[in-house]
Amino acid sequence: MPLHPLHGPPGLLDLKSVPEPVTHTAGLLAQLDEVFESGFGRLSSANLQTLASLASSFAGTPLAEPLQAAIAGLGRSEFVDRHFAVIAAARAAAHGAMHDALVAQACAALSRPRPELEVFAAAPAQEAPPRAAVLLESVRQWLMELAIAGFANLEVGALLPFQATLDAIMAEPALVRHAALLSGFLDELLTVFPAHGKPEVPRLRWVDLWARSMVLSLAPPAPVATREVKGELRVFATDLRQHDHVVCLVAFGALHEPGKPPRVVRTSVSAFKVDVLQGEDLAGLLNEVGGKLLEAIAGGQGLKIAGMLLHATGDLVWQESRAEVLPAKLKLAEEAAAVLTTPTALRPSARPEDRHPAVIEELVWLPAEAYAATGKEPREVSLGGSPFPLASERVPVSDDLPLAELAGSKGLVALLRFDGGRWSLQPVMIDKGKPRMVGTSLQSARAKARGGNLATLKERAGKLLRKKS
Amino acid sequence: MIRPRVLPRARKVQKVPFVELYAGRLQGVVSSGSDQDRVYVSYFEAGSGNFYCSTNNNRPCGGLRGSPCKHLVELLNEGVLQYGAARVIAYLGLQAEPDKVKSGGELLRHIKGGPHKVEAGMVFSRFLTYLQYVSVAPTGVPLPDMAWFVR
Repeated sequence: MPLHPLHGPPGLLDLKSVPEPVTHTAGLLAQLDEVFESGFGRLSSANLQTLASLASSFAGTPLAEPLQAAIAGLGRSEFVDRHFAVIAAARAAAHGAMHDALVAQACAALSRPRPELEVFAAAPAQEAPPRAAVLLESVRQWLMELAIAGFANLEVGALLPFQATLDAIMAEPALVRHAALLSGFLDELLTVFPAHGKPEVPRLRWVDLWARSMVLSLAPPAPVATREVKGELRVFATDLRQHDHVVCLVAFGALHEPGKPPRVVRTSVSAFKVDVLQGEDLAGLLNEVGGKLLEAIAGGQGLKIAGMLLHATGDLVWQESRAEVLPAKLKLAEEAAAVLTTPTALRPSARPEDRHPAVIEELVWLPAEAYAATGKEPREVSLGGSPFPLASERVPVSDDLPLAELAGSKGLVALLRFDGGRWSLQPVMIDKGKPRMVGTSLQSARAKARGGNLATLKERAGKLLRKKS
Repeated sequence: MIRPRVLPRARKVQKVPFVELYAGRLQGVVSSGSDQDRVYVSYFEAGSGNFYCSTNNNRPCGGLRGSPCKHLVELLNEGVLQYGAARVIAYLGLQAEPDKVKSGGELLRHIKGGPHKVEAGMVFSRFLTYLQYVSVAPTGVPLPDMAWFVR
């Protein structure tokens, strides 16, 4: 039971401040990111000083020595990818430490245990596809060129050749995660860099994407340890993520396995796409991989699953053939309240190498009496009279989850997020008697999507790509 | 309904299956009005305002007589629909006021260049890359990096 039933999760207001080490590390990384903007090809004395203080902040850690060597090498204009790999690893490690400190702060405030990875037997070793290694080497080469030039000095002509590498990565199923990340990153670079003019560089974001890409490309992906699960999945919240070339519907739910207490898991269905495919076309794209998931989300029903694979991070690998939509309508708000009020340590989290403040998504349940919101586009909720920011910029514009519905709602599931140096809440399900969440309209949009843009493009692709090969 | 991000109305791909701002050009593929199997490859170049239209086998479009043909007008219309007038105007470096532009066709009088041939294959291969995206299998595996991509 919550300690303060009238104020929802105790202590969210403790998150108005940020731990000092987090702010300090963010400041150090902001200086490092300036080097990425101006480029490693022309290091100023200020840049060299920044790199030196980065190295000293890693003193006594396993990264200290490689980092010293990499920085010395870069200072001598040795442009080899291993130096950049070390810089990326150091930046990722610093973000990992920030992530851990922030999660500890959030869990203390919410009086819940920190999330833990479930322990599985190691996955059997498996050989990576032969092309993966050389493709990833090409990625590192490209990333190195970006870093040498600097984001402020990029030219469109230098970005275009990478498209051919990306095409090959897209054709390699083992590199699906790389394809999703790199296609989004390249899109963004190409959007911001038109033929001429000096655009503003979203520095932190681009260096994040750069470092993620580099860390992910250091070695071909190793097989992931999983275990088979069976039971019932009750999805009570969703989130939609997308760029021009990928759409990803993330679902959070309670997993009821026989003989075990219910726990929170995360699952997702994703599809590659092109910019013109939006709105109802998303339904057509996701239907193929997650039609039953869309059906259950639309109807507020449970899913019987058998033999689906669960990752140690609480991520369920969605497989249509192993799911069955159950007929009964569930009380999803009650389901969410029950599993989120006192969650166990086994709940969705990130692998150590993926940890970064931007991937923190701690699920919270707020009962009606805990919060109040007003207006058509609320930017904050009132928690017992105190304002707390809403991450409204993360909520897609839709009829499925309009934030205006917060006013007078009976409860709320939100992701606690950290962005822009502060904590905020992203609503992912609003209880209006009937649950409101992103994706509830996709089921009915499937029919409309038939014969639309997706069908036309698929038909063209069928004809033309066959001709080409 | 999940709303499109920028489009004032959803673009239909039947007539213009492909349009993009790329490599200093507004370029795309326009279906022929008469022959189902024929497509035209059209582009406007940023800065110079040069343009061209040909079949994907490099046969020049018959409608191209010193000024943009109807395929190029359609390309401009769909480009504005896809990206918004402001982005197209900025990309092509046109002297037009974005707020006053209601359709792409109105931008035509700001195009100062003339017909200038490029190999259709350059644009057409981009179309094939574009189509490749809708041919990749969807997936149920976790994609944690998508946390960065929200709109």
